[in-house]
Amino acid sequence: MRRAILAVTATVAGLVALLSFKTHSSERTVAAAQPAASLPPGERAITGNVADTAYGPVQVQVVVKATKIVKVNILEQPTSTQNDLQIGQFAFPRLIAETLSAQSARIDTVSGATYTSGGYVKSLQSALDNGA
Amino acid sequence: MATAVGPRALLAAIAAGAAAVLALWWHSTLSLSGLGGWLTGAGEILGLLAGYAVVVLVLLMARIRPIERGIGADRLARWHAMGGRYVIGLVSGHALAIVWGYAVTAHASPVSETATLLTNYPDVLMATVAWFLLLGVALVSARAVRRKMSYETWYYLHFYTYLAIALAFSHQFADGAAFTSSLVARFWWSVLYLLVATLVIWYRVWVPARDFARHKLRVAGVRQEGPRTVSIYISGRRLRELAAEPGQFFRWRFLTRDLWWQSHPYSLSAVPSDELMRITVQDVGEHSAALASLRPGTRVIAEGPFGAFIPDRTNRSVLLLAGGVGITPLRAMFAALSGTVTLIYRASTWQDVVFQAELDAIAEARGATVHYVVGSRQDLGGDPLSPTVLRRLAPGLHRMDVYLCGPPGMTGTAVAALTEAGVPRRRIHFESFEF
Amino acid sequence: MPSATPVIDVRVRHAEHVMGTVVSFDVPASARADGSLDAAIRWLHWADRVFSPYRADSDVSLLARAEITVDGCAPEMAEVIAACAFIHDLSGGYFTASPGGQFDPSGYVKGWAVERAAALLSRAGSADHLVNGGGDVQCAGGRGAGEPWRVGIADPLRPGRLALVVEARDCAVATSGTAERGPHIVDPHTGRPAAGLASLTVIGPSLALADAYATAAFAMGPSLARDWTDCLDGYEAFAITESGKTWQTPAFARHLTPT
Repeated sequence: MRRAILAVTATVAGLVALLSFKTHSSERTVAAAQPAASLPPGERAITGNVADTAYGPVQVQVVVKATKIVKVNILEQPTSTQNDLQIGQFAFPRLIAETLSAQSARIDTVSGATYTSGGYVKSLQSALDNGA
Repeated sequence: MATAVGPRALLAAIAAGAAAVLALWWHSTLSLSGLGGWLTGAGEILGLLAGYAVVVLVLLMARIRPIERGIGADRLARWHAMGGRYVIGLVSGHALAIVWGYAVTAHASPVSETATLLTNYPDVLMATVAWFLLLGVALVSARAVRRKMSYETWYYLHFYTYLAIALAFSHQFADGAAFTSSLVARFWWSVLYLLVATLVIWYRVWVPARDFARHKLRVAGVRQEGPRTVSIYISGRRLRELAAEPGQFFRWRFLTRDLWWQSHPYSLSAVPSDELMRITVQDVGEHSAALASLRPGTRVIAEGPFGAFIPDRTNRSVLLLAGGVGITPLRAMFAALSGTVTLIYRASTWQDVVFQAELDAIAEARGATVHYVVGSRQDLGGDPLSPTVLRRLAPGLHRMDVYLCGPPGMTGTAVAALTEAGVPRRRIHFESFEF
Repeated sequence: MPSATPVIDVRVRHAEHVMGTVVSFDVPASARADGSLDAAIRWLHWADRVFSPYRADSDVSLLARAEITVDGCAPEMAEVIAACAFIHDLSGGYFTASPGGQFDPSGYVKGWAVERAAALLSRAGSADHLVNGGGDVQCAGGRGAGEPWRVGIADPLRPGRLALVVEARDCAVATSGTAERGPHIVDPHTGRPAAGLASLTVIGPSLALADAYATAAFAMGPSLARDWTDCLDGYEAFAITESGKTWQTPAFARHLTPT
């Protein structure tokens, strides 16, 4: 029994030590893109709500010109593990490209199988719905 | 002398591996914050350690010859049991911390997060099944439960751990933050698992099969040594190549219709020749009782030799202390050692004493001494192996290396008595039969 | 050159979380000013409270547990039940208000509630608006400057992409499929998920009917659905099978537009 207590205590102490070393004071690790301070004329930035995913918060901003989305910025994405960085490097650009191709058909809305909300989709939808 | 890996060396290697695993987590984590980050981080560390520890546990039981020789089967089994309990804790802690951590980060309830993890994350369902399998194996390995089932049932249930490890493997790469973004990490982790799998197959499957073909072991004959004790003579060829030392044991599998699926450890009770080995077995259970009726010519698979209970021949002054059936390996040592050798043989009745003629003959031929301490405590008036008695039967005891073999109760009191009689702990050697 | 006035400036977009999904509105600014948008949103929440099978105290749940009778429910309940019975007969049982034996008219209620919300906006004076209830759309008028609404139909086999774009004016576009929530549409006759179709879209005047028809047709599977949707008066269908092939009813073509 004594050995068990020792093992548990040592493990917890080790965990606390490791985790403390990696803890940084900022509450959120923020991604690279800052919302553009000044945009070319005719373009407006619409910022979606922050969506809480299991990996951390995600926030998306779209830049709209007339009725068309011309750019998508990821304002906030998790960056606390290498995995997060990889998603940021590869997955978001792909999602953005697909978004732009969907909307380049100049559609007003999408009919599809009923959705519940996923983090990114919800964010983009709210960005579109918030704009106007 | 064949290579042996000592306990300190093995523990150091295990610790180094654990440190490397922690370094892997360190390298793949840039920063974390908040309760969700801490819980998830803890879950990741526990998961990595668990994935490493199961491999270590398998390694301990892989019957790797240098390790068996340097550490001994009984100690390895004890380490495996202790480590097993710790691993259950690691795996359970990992599962709970991950669910909780993800739930906090996603502002969801732990229940809904569990459902999300099970249905949306690849291979998590399999890993959860693996967890429950491990819990089940842990449950049946608990002493209270294990006592109620036959050894063979427990033994085969324990094999489900292999299935659990296989089921849980893929989720490490699919979901583990340290692995998903690092090909190098996945590569070395796979190498680790592959290495241990290879060692297991090599030492537990290939080597026994190879030895079986090479040495062609057969039962040569069975001799009754006492009312409940039989010796089994086993013939073969090129047995010298097995390099069995007196004091060591093999895991024996007798290929009869009823016994082929069981393997039991018995020590050599005589120094082996190139063509003949002998084991001596006391009738204590179904298997040992059946051995008395083995027919000559029965084929035998012998896995081994195992055991760290090998005399160190540098000290020329040796005491062999046998209790009951513990005489078996010591009888082999008695015949092999030179120098000043004293054998104290403790038995409850004269009927339990075996090899008396052999022991006396060896004593006379080699100038060694045998003392038979026979009878109950009442007959002998007190503790028959008290420090005083021991010092009297083995003069110069404090300078001797003592090799001790017997039932656990006797071993415990003997170690205490020897220590009190002045023998340093490091010169008391014993191997437990209970593993 | 297109008109100098960007259409987006006089329109209001709003997303409301209700009924377990997101309902998106595209309405004129007047609808916000005169309160009809708020009224439509309140209506949706009311419908959710009364008809949600996930709330233990909704009329649907109470009725399912036989704790009240239809007379004790809101008057709309009788209307919903009657409509479901009609569609049940029309679809040969492939649409049911009691999937798995449990009373749950959600397959009709969502489209009906969204259609009613759009009607609210029309009654308040809006000529051009669009209400999208989690993928099922009721349109009034068009997107302005005489143009019809452009509704993209999601490609069920390649998430994030569109399979088709249709033009809709004063009508509804409803799609049933497995893309978002997996095989949740069950064939009432076999009790097992419908197989064969990846998505099926119905276009017609009423979203309540279009939604129910799409659900029923999807449950029928490819061959039965094709024959059945051909017979529907005033409603057209377009389907994508699991292997990626498509088919449509003959009159569907008038909704198509060069993309």
